[in-house]
Amino acid sequence: MFLYLPVALTSINILLPVGLGLLVGVLSGLFGVGGGFLMTPLLIMLGIPSTVAAATDSNQIVAASTSGTYAHWKVGNVDFKMGIYLLVGGFVGGLLGVEAIKVLRAMGNADFVIKITYVVMLGIVGTYMFLESLSSMRNKKSEKVTEQKESKISIFLKSLPFQTHFEKSGVTHSVLVPIFLGTVVGILAAIMGVGGGFLMVPIMFYVLRMPMHVIVGTSLFQILFTCIEVTFLQSYTNHTVDFTLAVLLLLGSSIGAQVGAVFGRKLKGEQLKILLALIVLAVTVKIIFELTLTPSLLLSQAGGH
Amino acid sequence: MRYFISTNRFLIIFGLLMLLSLSVSMDDAFAEITANANHDHITIDSFYHGSTVSISGFSNPSDADLIIKLTSPDGHQSLRKKGKVASFLWMNTGELKIENVPNAYFLYSTRRIEDILSREEMDKYVIGYPALVKHATINVPAGEEKTKWFNEFIKFKESSKLFNTSVGKISTIKKDRKQDYSISAEWPYQAPPGNYTAQVYAVKDKKVIETAAVNVLVEQVGVVKSLADMAKNNAALYGLISIAVALGAGFGVGMVFRKSGGAH
Repeated sequence: MFLYLPVALTSINILLPVGLGLLVGVLSGLFGVGGGFLMTPLLIMLGIPSTVAAATDSNQIVAASTSGTYAHWKVGNVDFKMGIYLLVGGFVGGLLGVEAIKVLRAMGNADFVIKITYVVMLGIVGTYMFLESLSSMRNKKSEKVTEQKESKISIFLKSLPFQTHFEKSGVTHSVLVPIFLGTVVGILAAIMGVGGGFLMVPIMFYVLRMPMHVIVGTSLFQILFTCIEVTFLQSYTNHTVDFTLAVLLLLGSSIGAQVGAVFGRKLKGEQLKILLALIVLAVTVKIIFELTLTPSLLLSQAGGH
Repeated sequence: MRYFISTNRFLIIFGLLMLLSLSVSMDDAFAEITANANHDHITIDSFYHGSTVSISGFSNPSDADLIIKLTSPDGHQSLRKKGKVASFLWMNTGELKIENVPNAYFLYSTRRIEDILSREEMDKYVIGYPALVKHATINVPAGEEKTKWFNEFIKFKESSKLFNTSVGKISTIKKDRKQDYSISAEWPYQAPPGNYTAQVYAVKDKKVIETAAVNVLVEQVGVVKSLADMAKNNAALYGLISIAVALGAGFGVGMVFRKSGGAH
């Protein structure tokens, strides 16, 4: 059955967005990512204009992350305190990132810098996570080595003022740490035009030393608020949110997020990390192909990412 | 007297010649064409997945070729250009801005346009892609660069189903000195709402001898129209409702899973 999308101005078989929502929702509930890196290009492939695809994706992530946060919260896997500090940083970072884009555009070659930053960040994060998870799965000794390495960073982090204990995560940090990290991810997310979940999750694990299952829930909590803000801004300023498409997507994604959360609890932290690393690496390879292979069309609709 | 006869003869011969030339050009002078759209109001409701536009009429003379041009009004188009950066990376390299170009352009003809119409007439009536290039204004230097980007523009539009040219879809039936014609063209769902014009041209000896036009209105109705209007005119409320529905769905599904025990 086909439904007409009033803002995207196109017609779509309803099974496609519902199925797509289900798939991305599972990833979201499983890894604590929004899944925009997967959803937006797939929607564009289905004939949705890029601006509408990105904005509507934010709207459906609100549903998926609400569903996911709820599922993780029920089993005590959301650190609201940490999430709020990260959000404050993310908000500041978003504003700085938008200014950074203006500077880059004024300097020219903004797209080049953005794309290269994206590929390098994804590549480093994916490779590091993959190798680290693999070695710690294979050899328990490596955990000790990692702990020794991290202790230097820990000493520095502990020397910072405003130390506070994050009960759910079982860690103590200066409030400046999550605010600073949130800002960094916020800047990069704004420049790259993505939610930043794939950066936030590794940072929470490697720098904030949070347990993997609490990371997923807390990341979703943070994504929820970011996407509420983005959905409103996109509706208000660009008129690019397609309500009909969002409903179709969220039908799948809100259920998918629950399935992902349930499935995630059956996996160990290391297994979750290595799976996420593989997805991040797959996205990196996809972008490298996109950048180097001659595109079939040299024109695309203005706007979007 | 001799002079009188010769003058009379001259007048008779002149009169005969005039009649002859008149009869020769009779076909052109009385050329006529009509156009009717059997489906001139396409409504877009929630289950819309494209439609068909049927145009019919008759043309006189019966041996005229026919061209039907179905377009949206000329306007502005803005697209992102991709190009090579650092000689191997494909990236967005700027914006292509085109003025005086329709968003949708469908062309149907009884034979190949190039075989039935002169280049001058094609340009005059903006028939065919080469005429469209001349008619449009593009923000790239004239010459090869302009041709390259206009070809890319056509490729982009054809892949979006908004540009198309086809030969032989118009069916004709000859009746005495006239011919009835009709076409049932597929109307793509990608074509946005708006006013479209179907221009029918009767063509003979590489020239347009008569034209007729009919309008086709594509309009959103019902829920589709309400949502589209709200997204534009009441954007804040639209955004808040979109967020509220997403939050409600997320919580709702969470509750259902909790009750069904899926989360435990």
